[in-house]
Amino acid sequence: MKRLFFASAVAFLVLAAASSSFAHHGTAGYDMSKTVTLNGTVTKYYWSNPHVILYLDAKDEKGQLQHWSLEFAAPLLMKRQGWSSASMKPGDQIVAEVHPSKNGAPVGISGTATFLLKFTVNGTELPHL
Amino acid sequence: MQNRRIIPTGPALPILRMRWIGTYAVAVSLLCCSSILLAQTTAPPQAAKPAVARASGSVPDLSGNWLIAPGSPSWDSADPAGKNPQQLAMTPWAREKLAAAKPPFGDKGTFDNPNDPVQKYCDPPGLTRLYGYPWQFTIVQTPANVYILFEYFHQWRLVTMGQPHPKDVDSTWLGDSVGKYDGDALVIDTVGLNDKSWLDNVGHPHSDALHLVERLRRTNHNVLQLDLTIDDPKAYTKSWTAQRTFKLSSDPMGETMCSLSENEDFQKSIMDRTVPGTPAK
Repeated sequence: MKRLFFASAVAFLVLAAASSSFAHHGTAGYDMSKTVTLNGTVTKYYWSNPHVILYLDAKDEKGQLQHWSLEFAAPLLMKRQGWSSASMKPGDQIVAEVHPSKNGAPVGISGTATFLLKFTVNGTELPHL
Repeated sequence: MQNRRIIPTGPALPILRMRWIGTYAVAVSLLCCSSILLAQTTAPPQAAKPAVARASGSVPDLSGNWLIAPGSPSWDSADPAGKNPQQLAMTPWAREKLAAAKPPFGDKGTFDNPNDPVQKYCDPPGLTRLYGYPWQFTIVQTPANVYILFEYFHQWRLVTMGQPHPKDVDSTWLGDSVGKYDGDALVIDTVGLNDKSWLDNVGHPHSDALHLVERLRRTNHNVLQLDLTIDDPKAYTKSWTAQRTFKLSSDPMGETMCSLSENEDFQKSIMDRTVPGTPAK
């Protein structure tokens, strides 16, 4: 099964700029001017405060498997967007837009109280802003 | 504590006609049965309606679940994004406190060992900062007291109506709040706060001399406006004001807790790995 990682890294200016986005910690660690699209497999979906975390495996452009951690808003805020703890499970195929970390670590943010990027599970799109 | 219950002289809301056993019984029942009570106080958003005209001496209806809009980490109205938090007129004591703050918010926000007392220790956010997180709060009005219940931390405030502050108020996280109605507004006067919390998410400090006045009024059916006056001579060389508005929400109140173990887990799993300059892993 294809698990392609393509760092489209299209530098489209993000509407939710760092100063206006909100998590319980801000977005200082992320490059909010970049968005990459990950294509991978869920290894763990952690529905917990202070933020929902998705762990997934995705291959980079060299075919190397990377273990990504994606941050989302708090569970209550995600619930109000239509997500739930049952939205995905290990093994599900994911296509996720992500603002990556500034330091190149496979860590990113895909949602806060002010934005929620495009996200599909097994071909079905979840609600996003 | 003396009995501070008062009876309104004008027309009152149905909830005001309820018989209250006492302050503590009310508080306990609110906390235990919050989901039921909160659902009852929730009104669905509608097209903007004018504020309901009230007879002289009546009580304005502030009930509802109010959503705090995200995006303004600073209370400084001239700098809501927190680009220059040092521009407020601060005393040397406050400037030193602000310089020591390493907030994770604002333009100077950092993921590198932030010392935000809420994030690092799950300390109570403090009165003004409770309005800085993107969750809901609800207001429950009774003749004797007004209760403000926040989703965040499930923290609740007691506002004693029509009474002066007690003498020799101890310094606490929430202080002593007394209230009165002034026209269509609920005016809350608070003293007796400790200096352990920040005023906002960019680390503006306050001292135990903080005197806070909140003025809450419904500008229309769907909008609640807060006008805040911050008077803290130990921290600021002059009093200053700020304003926020909150939208009526149809969502029921929910749970958002601060858990130290969950925060530490998140810090290690996410934040520590994104600190610029650290090896990518």
